[in-house]
Amino acid sequence: MPETVLSVEGLTVYRETYRAVKDVSLTLEAGTDTALVGPNGAGKSTLVQAILGILPRQSGKIVILGKPLSRRGVLSPEVRQQIAYLPQHFPFDRRLPMTVEELVGLGWDRLGLQLPWAHYRRRRQAVQEALAQVEGAHLRQQPLSGLSGGEIKRVLLAYCLVRPRRLLILDEAPTGLDARGESGFYQLLYRLKQEQGWTILQISHDLDMVRRRCDRVLCLNRRLLCQGSPAIALSPDNLSAAYGSEFVPYHHHH
Amino acid sequence: MGGMLGSFTILRQLSFFSDALGHSALLGISLGVLLGLNPSVVVLPFAVLFALGVTYLLTHTRLWTDALLNVIYSSSLAISIIILSFVGQYKGGLNNLLFGDILAIGPGDLVASGLLLLVCTLFIGLTLRTQILLTLHEPLAIARGISVNSHRTTFIVLLALVVAISIKAIGVLLVSAFVVIPACAARLLSRTFTSYVLGSAGLGALSAVLGMGVSAAFNLPSGPSIVATQLVFFVIAMGLPAVLVKLTS
Repeated sequence: MPETVLSVEGLTVYRETYRAVKDVSLTLEAGTDTALVGPNGAGKSTLVQAILGILPRQSGKIVILGKPLSRRGVLSPEVRQQIAYLPQHFPFDRRLPMTVEELVGLGWDRLGLQLPWAHYRRRRQAVQEALAQVEGAHLRQQPLSGLSGGEIKRVLLAYCLVRPRRLLILDEAPTGLDARGESGFYQLLYRLKQEQGWTILQISHDLDMVRRRCDRVLCLNRRLLCQGSPAIALSPDNLSAAYGSEFVPYHHHH
Repeated sequence: MGGMLGSFTILRQLSFFSDALGHSALLGISLGVLLGLNPSVVVLPFAVLFALGVTYLLTHTRLWTDALLNVIYSSSLAISIIILSFVGQYKGGLNNLLFGDILAIGPGDLVASGLLLLVCTLFIGLTLRTQILLTLHEPLAIARGISVNSHRTTFIVLLALVVAISIKAIGVLLVSAFVVIPACAARLLSRTFTSYVLGSAGLGALSAVLGMGVSAAFNLPSGPSIVATQLVFFVIAMGLPAVLVKLTS
């Protein structure tokens, strides 16, 4: 009996006065790669941020790895350690003095009360391994201010990977990566899922990739329009219901 | 102390806020004098309440931060001067309030100062990674389960206390420089965040000691001496990278 990693019931989220997500219920099983698709403005980022507790929700129950997420976004710390989130935008002040090594290291720390120089050696080793996995080892000592958009994405992915997690939530992760980086990225995700049993939820606009690689698809346009295997969920009827009847999916041939 | 908190203050763009805190302390002192209470005792809780109140205003109105702070600190300065003019000649003199008077510091102040330094060091030292992540990108911090609001509030409270305690030595007008200049100098010199925080704290401490020495030696007001020392460090920090490049090329 596969374990349920995430369970959402009746989730409604308001943005100011606008109902961005309406009565969504879904479950994620361990070791699956689920894609969340939908047109712009469908509420995908909002849904994901509400699940993480970043945005407050109007109603609904959210249970992650067996523990509930409270109304104010409080979740058991052990469960928090098991979740990684790669946001769509990473606006940070470029005047901040920080190196890549420090940022990835932040992903490793337990963020409780601790002496600032604790676990120095182990952290450094974990950072090096994580950066190697995303092919970013050469970036280790670089300051954040000098990185390109794609390099920042790699570094953020290393930040997520530096500790073993159970649930990885990605918001349009491959944007900014070049073709080689993108395929390497998807291979990495596949390995994490197969070898380490990670559960992945990714927001994506690349329907071809979703069709080929994902186990399940959720179509969202404020409400959950359909969920199931890619063959079913991405059928022409469902797609036109989500994106509108004029929608023609883009085919790219690899 | 100023340097340590200052490193985070300028990154979170709170430097104007600390300026407003300084001016509000003047209001606190004058209220204390008006009510016949010991001003040094009044100013500490007043600064904390003021800081929390201003934070509340900032988050709940849609006004621009710098304009709102301008309104607040100008009006608190005006009100406090009016109050002081009613009360008559303040024992220390307005000059000392504005610019600080080293001689006015008694053992009680030193004890309070030392205690606050300990609290600040413990707070920043033990939660350093959390503070860094908070300053960098709030959603990521929330996703890790950090209670952003309580950390922010604690920081503001500590900042208010540091400003309030430093008023005696540095004076109202310059206390925000005391917090901000070492941080700016340290920023010019550091690449990693950790070295930045340490550098800022170190420069703050060093300039305070040197500044007090200068003020004692030449009989200058203490606040401006300390800030002038910090300015010297800042100018050196600006020029140092260029000098190093020239030397190594």
